[in-house]
Amino acid sequence: MNELLTLMKSELVLTVLIFLLLFVKIGRGVRNEALLPIIQVLLLLNFIVGFFFNGEGSLFGGMFHTSSLIAFEKNILSLAVYLISLLFAGWLKKSQHMPEFFLLMITALLGMFLMISSGNLLMFYLSLELSTIPVAAMANFDLDKKRSSEGAMKMILSSAFSSGILLFGISLVYGATGTLAFAEIPAQLNGSPLQVLAFVFLFSAFAFKLSVVPFHLWAADVYEGSPIAVTAFLSVVSKASMAFILITVLYQVFKPLQSIWYNMLVLLAMATMVVGNLFALRQQNIKRLFAFSSIAQVGFVLVGISSNSTLGVASVVYFMLIYVFSAMAALGVAAVVSHHAGQENIDGYKGLYKNNKFLSWAMALALFSLAGIPPTAGFFGKLFLLAAGGERGAYWFITVAALNMIVSLYYYLRVVRAIFMDANEKPIDIIPLGNTERLGLVICGAGIILVGLAGGIFNFIQTLH
Amino acid sequence: MGPSSLIVLIIAAIAFSGIAVLVSKVLLKATKNKQKGQPYECGIPTQGKTMVQLNVGYYLFALIFLVFDVELVFLYPWAVVAKSTGWLAFIEIVIFFFIIFMGFLYAHKKGALKWM
Repeated sequence: MNELLTLMKSELVLTVLIFLLLFVKIGRGVRNEALLPIIQVLLLLNFIVGFFFNGEGSLFGGMFHTSSLIAFEKNILSLAVYLISLLFAGWLKKSQHMPEFFLLMITALLGMFLMISSGNLLMFYLSLELSTIPVAAMANFDLDKKRSSEGAMKMILSSAFSSGILLFGISLVYGATGTLAFAEIPAQLNGSPLQVLAFVFLFSAFAFKLSVVPFHLWAADVYEGSPIAVTAFLSVVSKASMAFILITVLYQVFKPLQSIWYNMLVLLAMATMVVGNLFALRQQNIKRLFAFSSIAQVGFVLVGISSNSTLGVASVVYFMLIYVFSAMAALGVAAVVSHHAGQENIDGYKGLYKNNKFLSWAMALALFSLAGIPPTAGFFGKLFLLAAGGERGAYWFITVAALNMIVSLYYYLRVVRAIFMDANEKPIDIIPLGNTERLGLVICGAGIILVGLAGGIFNFIQTLH
Repeated sequence: MGPSSLIVLIIAAIAFSGIAVLVSKVLLKATKNKQKGQPYECGIPTQGKTMVQLNVGYYLFALIFLVFDVELVFLYPWAVVAKSTGWLAFIEIVIFFFIIFMGFLYAHKKGALKWM
C-alpha cells in the first residue's frame, strides 16, 4: 500500500484534483474569477509535489513503472499545464464551462502520466486513449464557432483511425512475440518480416500523434480551429508526452530492430523538417504558423531520438523543457492579442510594439528561442539535439537539419519584423494585461534565458535514468 | 515460412473476397426493382429521410446507460475474487462506485436526465 502511494503519487494527486473540481461543479458552483486562482495554486502545488517523494519501481506486475527520469518528464508536463492555467486566464475567465475545461485537461494529463509510465502495450493503449479523447472535447470548446467543431471532428476521426492502426500493430506484436510486456518483448525480437510489419504499424500511430510527415495533415486544421489554450496543450503537452514514450518504446522495447528504425527515423525526420518549414513559410494565420512550426520542431526531436544513446534521451527531454517555455510564451501572447484585439493574422501584428512593449518583447524572445538563436535556450536545445543526432556520423543528415534551422528563421523573424519594424497607421491599442498572464510570461521568459545559461540542468538530466 | 508466407496471406485474402464477389456476379441473374433499394424489404414503407436530427437526449441517456453497463461488467470479475481478497476488495469496489456515482451526479446536475 505504501509503495502504491509513493510510486503512483503524481497520478493520485491528479485524481484528487479531478475530484475536487467535480465536487465544485456538482456543488453550488463558484464564479470563474474566484475559482481560477484556486485552480492555479492547486496546479502549482501539483508541480511542486512532483519533485518530492519520488520512488523507483514497478507495480501491477510490470504494467506501471516509474523512475527518476519519468518523474522529471512528468514534472515538465505539469509545468506546462500550470503555465496554460496562467497564460490563458483571460480566455478561461470568460469561458462558460471553465471547471470542465480543467477537468478535461487534467484527465488528459493523467492519461499522459500513465502513458509515460506504462510498461505494457495494453496499458499504453488505454492511457493513450485517456489522453486523446478529452483533448478532442477540449478542441470543441469554442461552442459558438463552427471551426472549433470542425477541428474537434477532424481530431476525433483521425485519432480513431490512428488508434485502429495502433491496435492492429499491437495485435501483430502479440502474434509475433507472444507477449505485450515491454520487458519481455525485446528477447523475442529477431527481425522477422511480421515483426517489422508490426513495428511499422505501431510506429505510424506514434507518427500520427506526433504529427510527423506524412501523418501531419490533421494538425494544422485542428490547431487553427481550436481555442489557443487547446492549441498550446496539443502542440506542447501532447507532443512532449508522445516523444517521451516514443523514446521508451524505441530504446527499450524495439532495441533489437534498431537498424530498421534508424533509417525510418532519418527519412521521417528529414521529411518532417522540410515539409513543416516549407508550409510554415506561406502561412498568414499565426495559429497555422505555429502548427507548422511545431511539426518542424518534431522533426528536430526525431533527429535527437535517432541517436539511440543516453545523450539522445537527455537532449530530447532538455529540448522539450525549453520548448514548453518558448511555445507557451509565443502562444500566450497570441492568445492575449487574439482575445483583446481579435487579431490572428500576422498582418494584424504590425506595429504591436508601439503600444504593447512588454508583449512584443515576450513574443520576440519566444520566437528567437523557437528559431534557435543564441543566447536563448532554444539554441542550446537544438545544439544538443543535433549533437546527439550526429553521434552516428551521418553528417549529411545533420546538415539538412541545420539548413532547415536557417529556413525556419525566415518565418519566425517575419513575425518579429511585423511587430517591431512594419509601419501601421492603426496599430493595436494598449492591451490591458492581467497579473496572471504577466506572471506566466515572466516565468516563460525567465525559463527561456535561464535554462539555456544554466548548463547544470542538462547535466542533471543526463544523470537521470 | 519467411516473408513469402505474409505476402501469400495478403494475396490469398484479396483473392478470396474478390473471387466470391466475381462468382456471385457471374452466376446470379441480376434483377432490379424498387423494393430492393428499400432499407427493409418487408413491413410498412419507410417515410421521410433517414438523415434527420435526433434529440441530443437520446445520446445522453445512452451515455448514462453505458456508465452503469461498464460498472456491471467490472462487478463480475470483482465478485469472483471478492471472497479471497476480503475487506480490501469491498473498499476498492466502494471507491469505484463512488467514482461512477460522481459522474452520474454530474450528468444529473447538468440536466441530462430531463426529457426534452
